[in-house]
Amino acid sequence: MSDKKVILVTGGTGLVGRGIRAAVEREGPREGEQWHFVSSQDGDLRDRDATEALFDKIRPTHVIHLAALVGGLFRNLKYNLDIYRINSQINENVISTSHKYNVQKVVSCLSTCIFPDKTTYPIDESMIHNGPPHDSAFGYSYSKRMIDVQNKGYHMQHGRTYTSVIASNVFGPYDNFNPENGHVLPGLIRKAFDAKADGNPFVIWGTGSPRRQFIYSLDLGRLFLWILREYNDVTPIILAADEESEISIKEAADLVVNAVGFKGEVIQDTSKPDGPLKKTTSNAKLRRLLPDFQFTPIKQAIQETCDWYAANPDKVRK
Amino acid sequence: MPAKKVILVTGSSGLVGHGLRAAIEQEGRRADEQWHFVTSKDADLRDRAETEALFDSIKPTHVIHLAALVGGLFRNLDHNLDFYRTNTQINDNVLATSHKNNVQKVISCLSTCNFPNKAKYPIDETMLHCGPPHETNFGYSYAKRMIDVQNKGYYNQHGRLYTSVIPTSVFGPHDNFNLQDGHVLPGLIRRAFDSKADGNPFVIWGTGSPRRQFIYSLDLGRLFLWVLREYNEVTPLILSAGADREISIKEAAELICETVGYHGEVIQDTTKSDGQFKKTVSNDKMRKYLPDFKFTPFKQAIKETCEWYAANSDKVRK
Repeated sequence: MSDKKVILVTGGTGLVGRGIRAAVEREGPREGEQWHFVSSQDGDLRDRDATEALFDKIRPTHVIHLAALVGGLFRNLKYNLDIYRINSQINENVISTSHKYNVQKVVSCLSTCIFPDKTTYPIDESMIHNGPPHDSAFGYSYSKRMIDVQNKGYHMQHGRTYTSVIASNVFGPYDNFNPENGHVLPGLIRKAFDAKADGNPFVIWGTGSPRRQFIYSLDLGRLFLWILREYNDVTPIILAADEESEISIKEAADLVVNAVGFKGEVIQDTSKPDGPLKKTTSNAKLRRLLPDFQFTPIKQAIQETCDWYAANPDKVRK
Repeated sequence: MPAKKVILVTGSSGLVGHGLRAAIEQEGRRADEQWHFVTSKDADLRDRAETEALFDSIKPTHVIHLAALVGGLFRNLDHNLDFYRTNTQINDNVLATSHKNNVQKVISCLSTCNFPNKAKYPIDETMLHCGPPHETNFGYSYAKRMIDVQNKGYYNQHGRLYTSVIPTSVFGPHDNFNLQDGHVLPGLIRRAFDSKADGNPFVIWGTGSPRRQFIYSLDLGRLFLWVLREYNEVTPLILSAGADREISIKEAAELICETVGYHGEVIQDTTKSDGQFKKTVSNDKMRKYLPDFKFTPFKQAIKETCEWYAANSDKVRK
């Protein structure tokens, strides 16, 4: 019988936090695990005192740290300094307060967008610090990279198991469906629903050929549970679907059209840029540790996400 | 008559701060420059309120930011976390308070040890973020690198001219002559004086073959003055003698013995590791700006440093 865990999830109301919640609910509560999903309303993590007050109240033994100031392309470009400083402050507060309160494990959340801009594919965990990140989000990227630097420091100096995961192309309920600053899959879902509602064509940007690995937030949540319970390495681990399950943007759009029940015209606007054809992230480290993990089939995951979208117009972030 | 500069120098009691002072004295004070050399006794820069009080009292228009928690090999090894967090705190306080007080220019001081451990030589300014730094002081190095990240952020977001310089191995009066955590040249000077005094052999660690570029603190000070007045790029500037002035550890040791007047036995302890054979940095960028800058001849710089050492036994940091 394992020791009791009191698990604090910061940024608990976002896409990833909801995925973890869904995984916990689907699995059923485990004896000895007490979950606390918090948001900025429970404590402003930019403020040291507020952070300590939150830890004082909850007394976590474990922390899943998802809270961050995220930007999307346009907000990032101009505000790199603020995004760097604020995220650095949040991360410093959460991690050092965790240490102060003798938290046994902190799992922070990084993203493949923080990797070097100039890189070879597939990307793997060893490459994080090998070059500058993309200019448009350098503030965000460096603040996230410094989590990994601190994790190493806490381990070497204090023996802490503070670690991180690297996720990208996550989708699911509670995503950001804003086409300006959301990601590609929620963008397609939003556009399909809008096209269905107002009778306009559904427009796919680019040729539709680029291939991407998508990970369903529920699957990410299930993997977070495994990381929380079993992963004791302080170096980061990529949580991504297998390269074989990459799909093209066009294939994703077809699945969305199907799931939404859109019967109108589908147009490809090839004047819009494609982005890189492949940006494969290696999940070899994950597969070494979890060779039998089954991801939710993408068709089903997209269907579930679209069903949620249709049923929750008041909750959809637009 | 140019606008008056009120220049705050943090960490001014160290090697570089004294070099700067020596340069000002050599040149003679300029009418439009008012200098304030401060140390931790004037304000604890780890504390935001103390930093603000210092700026309130001095009202600087320019800042030369030298203050840092520095350590030497052994202290760094065990305390990388502290070196990262403390220096990050100091740097954030100084930069943010400078911005708040409308300081026109901040020049921070990085180090060639912050460069990637795996690098192609000669190293130049563009390579700073192109790979992890050496393991032994990764905390210190990442904290320094993040100054450059913030400088870019302050420029992009606020148009600030906050920049940095990257000196190679500095030496001179007021150095740290401690054998455990000082650098190679002051270590050789200390050992030569000790051997002269106690009759024990003078021991050179390693083969003596590794080649290094050194910069005299007075020359660094003169270059800092030029950077303060004329350098308007936000990206860092390496301050070093050219690759043609590299000398081997053995050559440096021989010159020091001759200067100190030590004629006893010289032993090479080849059981000690050499470190990297060459770590050449490029001073091309500096030379484009200052083709005619003359470095103090190495022999003369060593002579002056040894004379200072002999005359100031009470001041020598051991």
